[in-house]
Amino acid sequence: MTIGIPRALAYHRYGTLWETFFEELGIPHIVSPETNQTLLAEGIKHTVDESCLPLKLYMGHAHALLDRCDALLVPRLERLGKRDEFCVRFWGLPDTVRATFQDVPLLTYDRTSARPDSEKRAFLQIAKSLGKNYRAAANAYRAAQNRQREADFQRLAQNRPLLRAKAPKILIAAQSYIAHDPRLGGEVISLIRDLGAAPICIEAFDRTACHKAAQHISTDLYWTLSREILGAIHLARGRADGVILLTAFPCGSDCLANELVLRRVKDLPVIQILLDEHQSREGLATRIESFLDMVTCRGGVIPPASPRRNHL
Amino acid sequence: MNHSLGVDIGSISTKGVILDDSGRLIAEAYLLTEGNPLGAVRRLLGELQAQLPADSQIYAVGTTGSARRLIGAMLEADAVKNEITAHAVGTLSRHPNVRTILEIGGQDSKIIILNDGIVTDYAMNTLCAAGTGAFLSAQAGRLGLAVEDMGGLAQTAAAPARIAARCTVFAESDLIHKAQTGHSKADLVAGLCNAVASNYLSNVGKGKKITPPVIFQGGVSRNQGVTEAFRRELNCEVLVDPDGPLMGAVGTALLAAKAPKRAEPFRFEIAARTYETKAETCAGCGNYCEIVRFVRDGVGVDAWGHRCEGIMES
Repeated sequence: MTIGIPRALAYHRYGTLWETFFEELGIPHIVSPETNQTLLAEGIKHTVDESCLPLKLYMGHAHALLDRCDALLVPRLERLGKRDEFCVRFWGLPDTVRATFQDVPLLTYDRTSARPDSEKRAFLQIAKSLGKNYRAAANAYRAAQNRQREADFQRLAQNRPLLRAKAPKILIAAQSYIAHDPRLGGEVISLIRDLGAAPICIEAFDRTACHKAAQHISTDLYWTLSREILGAIHLARGRADGVILLTAFPCGSDCLANELVLRRVKDLPVIQILLDEHQSREGLATRIESFLDMVTCRGGVIPPASPRRNHL
Repeated sequence: MNHSLGVDIGSISTKGVILDDSGRLIAEAYLLTEGNPLGAVRRLLGELQAQLPADSQIYAVGTTGSARRLIGAMLEADAVKNEITAHAVGTLSRHPNVRTILEIGGQDSKIIILNDGIVTDYAMNTLCAAGTGAFLSAQAGRLGLAVEDMGGLAQTAAAPARIAARCTVFAESDLIHKAQTGHSKADLVAGLCNAVASNYLSNVGKGKKITPPVIFQGGVSRNQGVTEAFRRELNCEVLVDPDGPLMGAVGTALLAAKAPKRAEPFRFEIAARTYETKAETCAGCGNYCEIVRFVRDGVGVDAWGHRCEGIMES
């Protein structure tokens, strides 16, 4: 039995946890390839037109695994704590996948309660359904949890030193499934790098600290991921030179969260960039380039542009 | 004499200027791109050269606008700059006190807020072209008008119709309904102009502190109907510089002049060489990037459009 893991949405947050868990249990698993044009096209084909881009990508990734696995891992993530919840796309994900690809068996778990051990219980349940005993399951979960913690720390260690960079520091205010998808945040990050600035992901800041700091911008916003973004923006005040609100079209929670940022964060240059199914990157390049010009010319000088020559 | 050349190749029009070493305009040209940026630039260079004194030499070349990359490769430009920055630099050189620049072009609209000659804030439309020049031309076509005539007609309106301009589709259905219920063409056009201005202010201009002096530029600034609507909405003077459309070209020429000086002067003969662009779809991976190769006299000089470094050789 091979488990298929779509490289989209929560994978960018819990990927290590999932992969390690199956590895430790000795269950074969496969992760879909990095997002590319073909995956996106399949995703668009298999999703209702009004869906958000990340959900379209998710369906593309799920589709890529259909013939290569026996069951898809599709968790239902509702909430992590008492005062926050995930966007409804995460609540309904197993149902959406089931309705889209009728024949594929799903391996799913729920994080519906705010109890601290709810994730562990869910994983033990999964292991049981795969015929593994309690001890093996508990050990696998512990190992998985440790490795995920290490991976989180690694991301923090990668991004944190950038806060001390000499180059203009740009915070990419986006959910991990946007920032770490090569087709979405990846393009933005490489454009920023090419222009000599330092792109910083929100993982430069500790997650718990972010949740706390978010209150400086809004005490009411309850979406888990939006709160982490807001918190990172607050913590970046006085440290980053600019913020890019990177939003996939049409994200409901970002609609509200971005508006809060634009109205309440006045001491940091902020730009909102909307990503959709556009095939041309010219619009994106213009926006990023001009934003960097603005951020850098706050010091008084517009950098002389250099034509970029590409190899053939 | 050390002159600099600036070329702004927009989706609708192509603008070019030559500045002398004190930044004064000594040659200018404005023509339509007509979907052929390479051809447009060739004609543009012809017009500019004709205006140039015989002994002058150009030591800096800058490009801007949506085809800046392509034309930058063609002209071997010293500066290739995005249009927002180029416009800010160009306008500031002429109006050092300006605090707000409103700009509506063919596909983009933007607002630039300045303080003491430094850009402090700006916004640009998200990737949708509603409420820009392209929107106005589409609606002009629907009403059987030339887009240049809209501004004049709008000013004859007795009672401008109320039209939603947030989305081209909504505006079009508003326009059809109003036309069918008996509103005159002048009222409809005036309504469209008002809608473009108020849509701009509630989208791109949202939350921005608009302080005079205000300058309105970009292709749509030639439409007096929209300019008047801005004056009414903002309740202040909105200046339209007759050279406004050239400001991007001026800006990039100034930026090019600051770049490291080139060894050889720019030669207009460069336009006479043969240029080709070859578009192809790379089959190297699942991304199927649309790569454009830029070829001069049969030799590849640049390529773009790829998402990775591994372009397929062909």
